[in-house]
Amino acid sequence: MGATASQLDTGKLSEYEELTFLTKQEILLAYKRFDKLVPKEEKNRIDYRVRMEDILELPELKFNPFKERICKVFSTSDKKDGSLDFDDFLDFLSAFSESATLEIKSHYAFHIFDFEDDGTLGRQDLKQLVNCLTGKADKTSLTADEMKQLINNILAESDIDKDGTVNLSEFQHVISRSPDFVSSFKIVL
Amino acid sequence: MISELQRQHSRGEYNYVAGDGYPGDHHSLRLRRLSSQMSIHDFPHYNPSLSDAGDSEAGDHGQPRDLRSLPLPMAIKKAKLKSRGIQVPVLSKVELWKQEKLKKLRKFQTKAREFLYFLVLWGKTIQKIGGNFGGGVKSYFLFLRFLVVLNFVSFLLIAGFVIIPSLVFRQVGTSFMNSTGNERCTIYEPNPPGLVVFYNFFLDLLSGTGFMEYSFMFYGYYKNTMVENNSFSYKIPLAYLFTAVFYFAFCLICIIARMGTAARVAVATGGSTVVNYSMTVFNGWNFGCLGETATKLKQKNLLYRLQVDLEEESLKKRAASLTLLKKFGLHSLRLLMALLVLGLNIAAFYGISYATTYSQEQQNKRVNKESDRIQDLFFEYLPSIVISVANFLVPLLCDQIAKVEHYSPSITVIVALLRAVVLRFVGLGVLLFTLWDQITCTGNMDDAKCKECSYNYASYACWETRVGQEMYKLTLFDLLINIAVLVLVEFPRRMVVDNWSSKVSQLVGRQEFVVSSNVLGLVYSQTVVWTGALFCPLLPLINTVKFVILFYCKKITLFSNCRPPQKTFRSTTSAFFFLVVLLLGWMLASVVMIYSIAVIHPSRGCGPFRFSDNMWLIIPTSFYNLSAATQEFLFFIGSQAFTIPLFSLSGLVMCYVIALFSIYGKSVGLLRLQLKRESRDKQFLVKQIEELSR
Repeated sequence: MGATASQLDTGKLSEYEELTFLTKQEILLAYKRFDKLVPKEEKNRIDYRVRMEDILELPELKFNPFKERICKVFSTSDKKDGSLDFDDFLDFLSAFSESATLEIKSHYAFHIFDFEDDGTLGRQDLKQLVNCLTGKADKTSLTADEMKQLINNILAESDIDKDGTVNLSEFQHVISRSPDFVSSFKIVL
Repeated sequence: MISELQRQHSRGEYNYVAGDGYPGDHHSLRLRRLSSQMSIHDFPHYNPSLSDAGDSEAGDHGQPRDLRSLPLPMAIKKAKLKSRGIQVPVLSKVELWKQEKLKKLRKFQTKAREFLYFLVLWGKTIQKIGGNFGGGVKSYFLFLRFLVVLNFVSFLLIAGFVIIPSLVFRQVGTSFMNSTGNERCTIYEPNPPGLVVFYNFFLDLLSGTGFMEYSFMFYGYYKNTMVENNSFSYKIPLAYLFTAVFYFAFCLICIIARMGTAARVAVATGGSTVVNYSMTVFNGWNFGCLGETATKLKQKNLLYRLQVDLEEESLKKRAASLTLLKKFGLHSLRLLMALLVLGLNIAAFYGISYATTYSQEQQNKRVNKESDRIQDLFFEYLPSIVISVANFLVPLLCDQIAKVEHYSPSITVIVALLRAVVLRFVGLGVLLFTLWDQITCTGNMDDAKCKECSYNYASYACWETRVGQEMYKLTLFDLLINIAVLVLVEFPRRMVVDNWSSKVSQLVGRQEFVVSSNVLGLVYSQTVVWTGALFCPLLPLINTVKFVILFYCKKITLFSNCRPPQKTFRSTTSAFFFLVVLLLGWMLASVVMIYSIAVIHPSRGCGPFRFSDNMWLIIPTSFYNLSAATQEFLFFIGSQAFTIPLFSLSGLVMCYVIALFSIYGKSVGLLRLQLKRESRDKQFLVKQIEELSR
């Protein structure tokens, strides 16, 4: 359920304000930016889904190595193609906003890093994560030995129950000890 | 829409996954994992026990949980909101009213925070810097901003209690004369103000002499005026002393308050010297990074950091496997290098001491005003020049020496930093010590020069003003050097690297903004200001202006010339470390202040303390002018009956806080253990189920 018309009425605005961490101005700005991505002929459709390729053109996401993962995580589309409607877009901005809680941010960060979508971070997830962080997603910048040593170190530090993967609570345990996670997990339009 | 989601609900599957068998896994290689194949779109994966402790108990009856903090898609949140609206509220009127007030308060707080954000000095600039260059560089600019505010507020303090009353009461008040017979010592004739040629004016501005010497800038101008009306009395000397002491106390409180917040952060992260790969990887990416160049830089930064950490680990392993002979050789080499560094430092200190002595002699010899002003200026700035050259050369040489020492990278950085800190502070200390030696004839009161006036009158008619001038010159020279380096070194370097692509320029590369040496520069300037504030009351204002200029200069050079530091070590860029070094500077300055107040005889010809043997003596004399009741009260506070209970009470409070601290640490450890045990229990139960089902 997206916007009812080309304008956002006050009832919906206060509802969105209640359900997200965004202020009224931020929601209106988000609406303006989202509206620009909707092609002219679809502007009156209620729940139009903007394609992933168009979302990825936003300047805030354009060079982010995790942009595809972000779209896939926040998309509620049945086709799992990463398309976002306005509700998903607001969810995305709310999780990345200034006032979102640490739990919300760490929860979504975990799922963004979960490249294989299996609920935990395994060796392959970690490998892809490191590649994204240090260069291209498909090409690795560390040598094979360095990568192996790095992943072993990460698992030794954060895998508390020693099952070979990092689950959500272990991830949140690592994140909670970092003071600037909340400020670095932030996108403002 | 909702039915669809309910279909996706709890698609739990049992999955057989082979464990990876990496080191530390002593259990069986085949582990069964209860991975419930839940992706983000399934119903609550959210662990309610992780939210605030009170909420999970409240649930539906009591305060409604904040819907926005549930990590669910918008559609589900809207449904929950609707269902909550239908629910009959089981809240009393008082609860409802309380909730309304809380909501309004929260709205007001967010609005106030948005408003304050615009008022914060340089807020947007610092955020931009943090986004483009990372946390280390940002912490430098945050520190600079803190110093600007500190200096400005302390200037307001000094202005309010010393400068403005001096201005107002200069004509009104009475200054009592107390002739002690040493008429010769009271003669003080600075260059009288008059029409000055512009050339001389500029030189006077640079060296603090001439028209500036007998002005509000320096100690010598203030008289010991005392105003006594019926109800209001104001003694300038008392105000001067109290303001200086309070200024130091105020700075100390500010630093410690800021250290408290920084220390809390440092403790929460569990020690920043421990390399934490998971922290780097999970927390490494700054999602606010915009633009292609910034992203690529950030990626390079992370890559170098990971590579350096991994290299350090392998170095440690190698070092542990060295033979005894090699270890002995390495340690003796390190000892030799440490001695070499010590020798370099001592050479630098000797140079500073000699330069100061020579400069003072030249300044005292200057009787003839027609002498070469430029040469005089050079001699006046000689100590500053020598200090700057030493601060530049010696760390450079130490860096080369460090290459021979083969410490691991993080230890190398810390050792280099410590050496630089020691060099700067001891250099400043040597300068001050030499100055004081000259003033008090090396403590020998029977020396011909000092016998008559208890200080070296022949060379220093008004020694406090002279010390103030030296500090003023140091401050000014520091600013000029920074601007000169900016214009003459950094801009040309960038132009050369950008426009002339050869192997040499690629090797040298663009300037890197090294946070630690810049922070040391700031701490050094602030220490100089603290030392000189007693003798030059306007110095905090000059320093505020200087730091503001420095902020904009550094910002310009950062954005035009620099690339982000590629190897950052958290321990050296943390705010806590900066504040510790600043505290060291404060201690040095307070030692100087205490020595000046309590030991040296103030000048007889100038300043508010010209008629006492010590600056401190003004306090006992005015103390006995207070009413008897106040005297009794103050004696009581100083007596044992008051201080001993006070100390024991504060000791008690400290023990309580320490006990609390250790208990929290222990409970964190216990919770970690519990987490481990719980998952082991889960695996055990699964194994049991499997065995029973056979």
